[in-house]
Amino acid sequence: MNGGESEYRIARFRERLAREDVAELGVRVEVRGASILLTGTLPTADRRDEILRLASTELAGIPVHADLLVARADPPDRPEELS
Amino acid sequence: MTPGAERDGAFVRVAAVGDIHLSPDCRGLLRPSFETLPLCADVLLLAGDLTRHGTVPEAEVVAEEVRDLGVPVVAVLGNHDYHSEREADVTRVLTDAGVTVLEGDRVVLPVAGRKVGVAGAKGFCGGFAGRSAGEFGEREMKDFVRTARRGAESLHRALADMSADGCAARIALTHFAPVPDTLAGEPVEIYPFLGSYLLAEAIDEAGADLAVHGHAHLGTEHGMTAGGVRVRNVAQPVIGRAFALYHLPLAAS
Repeated sequence: MNGGESEYRIARFRERLAREDVAELGVRVEVRGASILLTGTLPTADRRDEILRLASTELAGIPVHADLLVARADPPDRPEELS
Repeated sequence: MTPGAERDGAFVRVAAVGDIHLSPDCRGLLRPSFETLPLCADVLLLAGDLTRHGTVPEAEVVAEEVRDLGVPVVAVLGNHDYHSEREADVTRVLTDAGVTVLEGDRVVLPVAGRKVGVAGAKGFCGGFAGRSAGEFGEREMKDFVRTARRGAESLHRALADMSADGCAARIALTHFAPVPDTLAGEPVEIYPFLGSYLLAEAIDEAGADLAVHGHAHLGTEHGMTAGGVRVRNVAQPVIGRAFALYHLPLAAS
């Protein structure tokens, strides 16, 4: 990919994530060699899919690797004892 | 987990989570876990960013998740909850559902015949000691830094007022981080947007036994202020559960 152009496209993608409709500030977008790595945790699988859809549009032509997790909604198995 | 009636030793069981970012598409997501709270906790703390955009319909989803849980629910709002500039309405919807929403205020809860105090404020960004923004220059810059200072002052006031309440445990609840310890994992360049040392200074000066915050999704759970107050980042992506649970000792009366 063209270094200069892709840098701005990645910045635009980050801004898009933070904007009104998506409002997702918990996804990390990093350049790894010639590809982009997305990491972070989303509340639901639908939100994760939304981020992946957005990435495929905004970052079209750049290989995207995603390792996005869905937050676990189960209770903790033990407390932390603060002595 | 230990049911309330069987526990021994004097401690308060604090459940806490932040950054749940609920909207109508995740209605009921956390409710099954929250319904276990009467068995394992004396209070649920919500550390802000409860909604995605701070709208009333999103706040109503949060309200239904925590309504009539059987334990007191104490919340601060986060930056997402302010996004639509409807924070007063978000607060009202939560309050109507029985949530105590704190902003520069405190609440004292009866626990095991003792008092547990929670002082809360959203807080703001600005950075950490030696690497923070200064109240200088353009009006916008001064407003930014003053907002951080006023947020910390309101937390300090609430904590200081609580000292006269005779609490056996004192908790400081914020959305923004008081220390950089719990930001480890976030890019260092954005630390100034994740919290302010002024919050830790307020906590250390006024005194607290535990500080709970959210906001930093990529951070870590454990930290401590310079004064030795334990700090816990309970952003849901960090704790990886519906809530974290802490047993905080009650001071001898």
